[in-house]
Amino acid sequence: MPEEKKRVDFNADVSVIESADSITEVTNDTRTDFIIDAIKNEIRKLRNDEDFRQEVVDAYYDGRIDHSIAEDILGVEEATRMKLLKESIDRVPPEPQLEDSVPTDEEFYDGKVPTWKPDERSKSASEGT
Amino acid sequence: METGREVQVGERGNVDRRMAGKAVAVVDTNVLLNLAIPVVDNRSKAPTGEDPFKTLLVSYDIHVPDSVLGEVTDASGGDDLLSQAAKLVLRAADSLTTHDVRDEIQEPLDYGLDRGESEAIWLTNNRNVDFLITDEFGSTKYLLLNLALEDRNKLFTTPHILCTLTADGALHPEYVEEALTYYFETKSWDGKYVGLLRERYLR
Repeated sequence: MPEEKKRVDFNADVSVIESADSITEVTNDTRTDFIIDAIKNEIRKLRNDEDFRQEVVDAYYDGRIDHSIAEDILGVEEATRMKLLKESIDRVPPEPQLEDSVPTDEEFYDGKVPTWKPDERSKSASEGT
Repeated sequence: METGREVQVGERGNVDRRMAGKAVAVVDTNVLLNLAIPVVDNRSKAPTGEDPFKTLLVSYDIHVPDSVLGEVTDASGGDDLLSQAAKLVLRAADSLTTHDVRDEIQEPLDYGLDRGESEAIWLTNNRNVDFLITDEFGSTKYLLLNLALEDRNKLFTTPHILCTLTADGALHPEYVEEALTYYFETKSWDGKYVGLLRERYLR
């Protein structure tokens, strides 16, 4: 069964519509098909655009868009992950019980703490770690 | 020194916390390694002045499946930052309570969780454990952990726990601010989520 249609009316600059009409003269499309294709392409492009996806994530965490919009754009898995993570912020973990005296490094690690620094040769390779 | 060594595993395998009085947490391999990394990282971008790894281990009663220590040992072979962090974790292994749960799970719980994570979930579901800490909050693994846990309210992330450790003065808020920035830059942690934690707990 074909999908239900929704009528959309909008005003656009005459020059934009004239440019579109010139193209559809060549491609033999209708103006409507041309505009629908353009919208579909834009949706596909934005759904795969990392910057835009991050905008959606930010908007969801900030409460500017609801779960269904995030799900529509990011997919069920990613939207559900964010929902669970957002909900978890309000959860209070069990209280830490710090002892009066924290063991020294010598006691705790049975010696000095080893340290790491990239040597000059491997520096560029290790920067990304 | 009071450590996890003093915590006994009771007859039915449940954790007996009377001796320690601390909340019992299960952690997976990445949590241990990621908390140890800034401690050994001597580069200028690493946060300094505190030890989040030691702080976690003395503030809570930390339990791990044997396989987690196996994974840490596997990671300790080289001379890079991760290996050095793994060596540090091994030197504090006495402060961890380990559990052999290999026979309880024939194979990993599927859905893309590895053995260490699967066993950590089994421990949390089947022993008297208060909470599970994970670093896997940036991928769909976080979904799987939520699904696999019988009580998903027991699931907490490393940055959430780091923030909690500031509340009682176990870690300075300034250190945790620096550490969260360090992890965001080096581990690609979900910056927006970490930002919300900062606003909630550190400001």
